[in-house]
Amino acid sequence: MKEEDKNMQQSALNTKKSQNMKIIRIERKQTMAPKSLDSDCSNCAVISSDDFSFYYGSRMGVKNITMGIYPCSITAIIGPSGCGKSTFLRSINRMNDLIPHIRTEGTLKVDGQDIYDKRINLISLRQQIGMVFQKPNPFPKSIFDNVAYGPRLQGIRNSEDLQDIVEQCLRSAAIWDEVKDDLKKSALALSGGQQQRLCIARALATKPRVILMDEPCSALDPLATGKIEDLMEQLKTSYTIIIVTHNMQQAARVSERTAFFCLGELIEYDLTSKIFGNPANKQTEDYITGRFG
Amino acid sequence: MRIFLRTIFDKTFTIMTYLVVLMIVALLVIILGPMLSRGLSAVIFKDTIEFRKMQFALYNRGNQSRILQETKETNAFRQKIYQTIDKFKQGIDTEALTEKVRKIYREFGQQLRYKELPPEQFTILRTQAKEIRDKLETAFASQDKSEIASCINNVMQYRDDQRFKDTAADGFFKLALEFKNSVEKIDLSKHYLYVKSLQELESLITELLGPRPDEPLPSTAMNQFGATRWDIAQRILDKILWTEQWVEHKPNELLVKIKALRAEQFAGTDIEPLFSYIKDNIEEMLKPKAKFYWQYFIDDSTPGHYFGGVGPEILGTLLLTLLSMLFAVPIGIIAAAYLTECSSENLIIKIIRMCINTLAGVPSIVFGLFGLSFFVLFFLPLLGFPSKPCILAASLTLAILTLPVMIRASEEAIRSVPQTYKEASLALGAGKFKTFMKVTMPAALPGILTGIILSLSRVAGETAPVLFTGAVALGPMPSSIFHSTRTLSYGSYDMAVGDRIAMMVPHNQYGMVATLVILILCLNIMAIVVRSRMFRKLHGH
Repeated sequence: MKEEDKNMQQSALNTKKSQNMKIIRIERKQTMAPKSLDSDCSNCAVISSDDFSFYYGSRMGVKNITMGIYPCSITAIIGPSGCGKSTFLRSINRMNDLIPHIRTEGTLKVDGQDIYDKRINLISLRQQIGMVFQKPNPFPKSIFDNVAYGPRLQGIRNSEDLQDIVEQCLRSAAIWDEVKDDLKKSALALSGGQQQRLCIARALATKPRVILMDEPCSALDPLATGKIEDLMEQLKTSYTIIIVTHNMQQAARVSERTAFFCLGELIEYDLTSKIFGNPANKQTEDYITGRFG
Repeated sequence: MRIFLRTIFDKTFTIMTYLVVLMIVALLVIILGPMLSRGLSAVIFKDTIEFRKMQFALYNRGNQSRILQETKETNAFRQKIYQTIDKFKQGIDTEALTEKVRKIYREFGQQLRYKELPPEQFTILRTQAKEIRDKLETAFASQDKSEIASCINNVMQYRDDQRFKDTAADGFFKLALEFKNSVEKIDLSKHYLYVKSLQELESLITELLGPRPDEPLPSTAMNQFGATRWDIAQRILDKILWTEQWVEHKPNELLVKIKALRAEQFAGTDIEPLFSYIKDNIEEMLKPKAKFYWQYFIDDSTPGHYFGGVGPEILGTLLLTLLSMLFAVPIGIIAAAYLTECSSENLIIKIIRMCINTLAGVPSIVFGLFGLSFFVLFFLPLLGFPSKPCILAASLTLAILTLPVMIRASEEAIRSVPQTYKEASLALGAGKFKTFMKVTMPAALPGILTGIILSLSRVAGETAPVLFTGAVALGPMPSSIFHSTRTLSYGSYDMAVGDRIAMMVPHNQYGMVATLVILILCLNIMAIVVRSRMFRKLHGH
């Protein structure tokens, strides 16, 4: 790992590399994830998408995405609005099913299983892949009921068990100290940042392996954002996190790997330090430096 | 300049909105104010001793010894009226007098037969008795005072006769004397007028004071008691004191109503002072007291809607309303859930939605006839129940009537639940049904309750749908849902158009309408409180 980092730093320092190198890198990316990553964690991509395309009716959402997402790390997806970041994220737990007339091509595998297979159990899939949304959306119920919602669906009725799970999840989401005294209070009475952490706790309660975050901090102030970012840092030791964000500093701060989407296509996917230090693609560089257009 | 104009427009707009709100409030006050105040007169009023008697006799309410005491006190004052009238009647009611004379004559004949007198004497006595009888009858029929006097004098000759002493014939002389005394003050040419006026007066007094204590009780309850309320007593008193006459002032013009003192009809007679006596002593005769008759809301009414309250009506209305809600709410919510959650916008859904909207505009009488032909005549026999109007059929009809409102309100409520709630629930691994039951429904419940409130008010107040399917104007308390019931709405309608007895008690009419309004108001307030509490609980304020 340290070796890799050193390499990254060196390449970041040499910002003006030859054109050939870039071409080679792009070719690598198109075949699969960067080679350096493969060596780091071989054959253990939790989510792997292979030439995955998604259509809303006749309109294209994302096209030919080929990437692998690795466990116990944070993967950030950045890109301009309407580039298909959220579409791809929501494809992973099939939240896009709510929209009529959708169509997919290629495969999207979670643990080696194609999730767009007709035989897939949607409920267990969604329990394995938790999701946190752009706007904090706690249910209009008590804090306790919010967190206990998932476990209850799984059939846990014992109140002591539920109590344990709720406490554990609230602790993991770093909100326990703030709400432990009034778990019976409505979740809507919490502040925005607290609500979002509650939503994370709620997502943790189903014991997922992957957590999808769709711009989780875009509705929050910097302080609350900081808290959520700290939380993500803690969570990545045991969960695989994919975060869609508009905030490039955030992506640079929290993620190990970053994918850059543009117009429904995956332009570049690499270690974060590489993307932000020495992007292989001109478009990525333009976007990161703010010269996009 | 432009800013100046803009502020003026702003101010005008504000004032206009205030005015509109004020107008609505004023309208409400104008509509509800008189209705409630008049309706309250059925509950809060001044009652009389007759009311207390009625409550004791019909509802077994009140202190018996106290009522008896009061009856005694009032009867003491009433007695004078009866005596005066009876006395006056003796000079007036010739038919009754004639009847009495004949009765005495017959009794006397019987007595003679048992005395075993010699036949000659018997014949003489019979003849004399017959003569007395004929003379008296002539006197009764006569309008000439001198003729009467001579006849009476003729009769009186026999008074000291030993043969008539201590026999039934004594009655002749007593009658003759009484008649002589009463006739003295009467203008006999007005004889028939007196008879007519006296009859009127007597019926009015019966209305005011009830039947005389010595008379047998009439069979119907409404005739057993006098004026039970002080306001009615006042009205009757007014009728007793004043007569209304239609008089032609000028030829070829409309008749004019004039009021005249009834006492003038009896000018110079013993009856004349009676009017001032009634006027002065009416309080002693009726003993008015302020009364809060809260039992109005639980009492059965008898006969018709004359006495008593609206207990069965309230019960029936509540039963019908709640039962119809029991049918309409689940069906409405399920239909709304289908329309919002389970279907995409296609032709069939459009047709269904159009049908619902059309149903919402169908006149309620059409639903009533549908209920009769479908539920009463087809559906109930199909299930093996008797095919007659009943609570079940009526509430089903009402449920159908209110379904469109219910569906539309629930649909709006479900639609207004943020999509993010559903997304969050689905992302946690809940299925469609669980998401609806556990997240969407609770969040939509305040909105659904609004629909329920709208439906409740509509159902509780509808008359036409229950007209043929389960409502009756009068009937026993329902003991099962297969019996027909009384309802406030139908009761109000019936009292307004059909019930002649009810027309004599306008306070009960107002009372019933006001009760309906208050009932709906209470149901609404209840639902609003529940809704706001639910809303507060959901949003943690």
